Amino acid sequence: MIEAHDSLIVRSAGKLLIPLSQLFALYVLFFGQYGPGGGFAGGVILGTSFLLAVLVLGPQAPPCRLAHQLEHGDGVGLMIFVGVGGLCLIGGGTFLDYSNLQIPGWNDEERRSLGIVLTQIGVAADIAVTALSIVFSLGQHHSQEASHE
Amino acid sequence: MRDQLPVILFLVPFATAICLPMVGLKAHGWCRPMALVSLLVMFVLAVGNLLLVLKHGEQSYGFAGWSASASPPLGIVWVNDALASVMMVTISFLASLCLLYSGPLSPATEKPRIVPYYALILLLVSALTGIVFAGDIFNVFVFLEVAALSAYALVALAGGRALIAAFRYLILGTLGSTFYLLGVVFFYATTGTLNMEDICQQFTKNPELLHSKAVVGGMAFLFLGLGIKMALFPLHAWLPGAYTHAPDAISPLLAGLMTKVALYGCVRVLFWGLAAGAQTEQLPALTLLGGLGMVAALAGSLLALAQQELKRMFAYGGISHIGLILIGVSQANQTAFAGSMFYLMNDAIMQAGLFFIAGAAIQHHGARTVADLSRLRRAPWLVTAFIALALSMIGIPPTGGFFGKWHIILGCLEAENYLAVTAIVVSTLLTMAYFQRLFLSMFGHREVVPDSAAGALAPSTKLAVGLTALLVVVLGLCSEPLISIFRETAAGVGL
Amino acid sequence: MSEHIQAALERPSLIAFVVLFLCGFFVMTTNSNMIKKLIGIYLLQTSVLLLLVTIGVKQNAASVPILTEKHIESPETIAPAAYVNPLPHVLTLTAIVVQVATLGVSLALVAAIYRKYGSLDENEVLQRIE
Repeated sequence: MIEAHDSLIVRSAGKLLIPLSQLFALYVLFFGQYGPGGGFAGGVILGTSFLLAVLVLGPQAPPCRLAHQLEHGDGVGLMIFVGVGGLCLIGGGTFLDYSNLQIPGWNDEERRSLGIVLTQIGVAADIAVTALSIVFSLGQHHSQEASHE
Repeated sequence: MRDQLPVILFLVPFATAICLPMVGLKAHGWCRPMALVSLLVMFVLAVGNLLLVLKHGEQSYGFAGWSASASPPLGIVWVNDALASVMMVTISFLASLCLLYSGPLSPATEKPRIVPYYALILLLVSALTGIVFAGDIFNVFVFLEVAALSAYALVALAGGRALIAAFRYLILGTLGSTFYLLGVVFFYATTGTLNMEDICQQFTKNPELLHSKAVVGGMAFLFLGLGIKMALFPLHAWLPGAYTHAPDAISPLLAGLMTKVALYGCVRVLFWGLAAGAQTEQLPALTLLGGLGMVAALAGSLLALAQQELKRMFAYGGISHIGLILIGVSQANQTAFAGSMFYLMNDAIMQAGLFFIAGAAIQHHGARTVADLSRLRRAPWLVTAFIALALSMIGIPPTGGFFGKWHIILGCLEAENYLAVTAIVVSTLLTMAYFQRLFLSMFGHREVVPDSAAGALAPSTKLAVGLTALLVVVLGLCSEPLISIFRETAAGVGL
Repeated sequence: MSEHIQAALERPSLIAFVVLFLCGFFVMTTNSNMIKKLIGIYLLQTSVLLLLVTIGVKQNAASVPILTEKHIESPETIAPAAYVNPLPHVLTLTAIVVQVATLGVSLALVAAIYRKYGSLDENEVLQRIE
């Protein structure tokens, strides 16, 4: 049974660091357009921040209850990815051909840029949820979940 | 819409799989109908795709707008030709049959298990679609991994001994994928490209690349990896445990599709990637694969003869058929290639059918071992289907198994490879021997154990079992058009 | 022979790849503890990723291939040798994701085996089955 960490120092540092790391994860996600980063790294940092919350603040704290709710959103990230690709199909091109996203008034490069950002957001969401669900399935949280249902 | 068919064929099961967790949160009962509907839609689309490809010819699909006909092609390319369309029809048909069959037998009776069960089956089918259409070697790796991960989880759903079998499958399968990736890395380092057609062109332009150390090493690792995935004889250790202990509703799906699609991937890399057909001097890889195929054909049926459990026996039978198909592929002429591709289709259906029967025997009659088979005397559907499938496995006309083996033997005779012909004949005799054992146990002995829990077969089970048995006979009667399609494919690749 | 050894010594990351690959293979095959087998597999896959990154290296301080205004104005100044090939890095990213997914599934499987049979050693688990 994971409890909140005993040391006050660790708990306070966690309360400071966890929101910072989530912000950093969003930064890495959007900076992937111009440099190293992108969906994968951003998603991993996001997932890790929730796991840090569970380990440091204990399973009853608000971030952890949010994490448990997130665990149910298993396919959302992939749905965003496939949705963007499907929208490109509807627009008349091949799968993931972002220049066919039907947005009035935007030219080719802007559409491609938007398409890639949306795809990376989907990837980040998916990886964060996957990281959470891998760790939750290994611990006793899983048996608690099963007994609640 | 017609041009986008490959992607739509991939997206239909994939999109359903990723929507299932959200649906399963609210309404468990919708999961099975959704999965079934998506697989049936996929089957209809696959048949449509086959008809379109037969009418209009091969189609190359370039992702994200990167043109597929540029040379060298810069993006990810999917190849939609006759061979791929036939495989797609087989995959979608078998998957929908397995889902129909699995109604009363699935482990998905406990609520938390329903969503992962159907989601994993749909993910497996969409990953196999990706392998079938893939036009470059890295795509094959990614989809091979997705399919394998879904398969590990599906095998483990039965709990108990299946967990150990799934773990062994996982270790060996991951080893295979790592070797395959290493082979891809070597190929990329030598040719600078991942596209199969581009690699083929580079090898035909400078054939001395084929003998360089990097490419030879790359080929060794690549085929080692694919060999583990398709359970080629010495590398088959994961297969009997995984197929025997998997849930009874999942074994047909895995047995019919996993090794066969890996074998198809091997054929694609050999003939479309390495230009094995067009090289004037045969690749030593082909001869090596042929030799291993002969050993596998003999060893598989020999090992099957020695088994007591029904599912284990059928698993070893599958190993021997993979060897047979490899013998046909390695002869490098049209007849043998067409015969082996036809036999691949048939083998998928035969294996699925045999595991359908084994599962029904276990669930309804409690007949797990060869000795218990006499309980099946009360089940006319199962016995008739079993006779039809046995005739096809042994290779007796007019079933599909006969025509496949016939063309493979003709191809071996054409290549004057009498050793291979001997191996095929001995393997057939051994197959006949172990089916003789099964028939003897079914009809010959006096009924020892009384039939206590013989329930009636559910209509969906009867449908699945009956359809597979019917299909092997129908495929045998209509073998000519399919063989000519495969001959054209072989001609297109230079054989 | 000696020029082969010299060529090998000039490329230390390839020697590191071979050493890691063999270590991973050895750890995976000889240990009976399931978690140690998984560590061996992880090491094996990481060594292949090391090879993949090694073949994507360019020696003379190549930079990231991002199209800027300068390049759009004068496209003839784009020299392919000055920019890193992004393909091996993309392949590495994909392979890392595959590796993590495999690790996740395998750890969940080992956890299920532990919950059912109470041991992490393969031989002990096989004994407890019988």
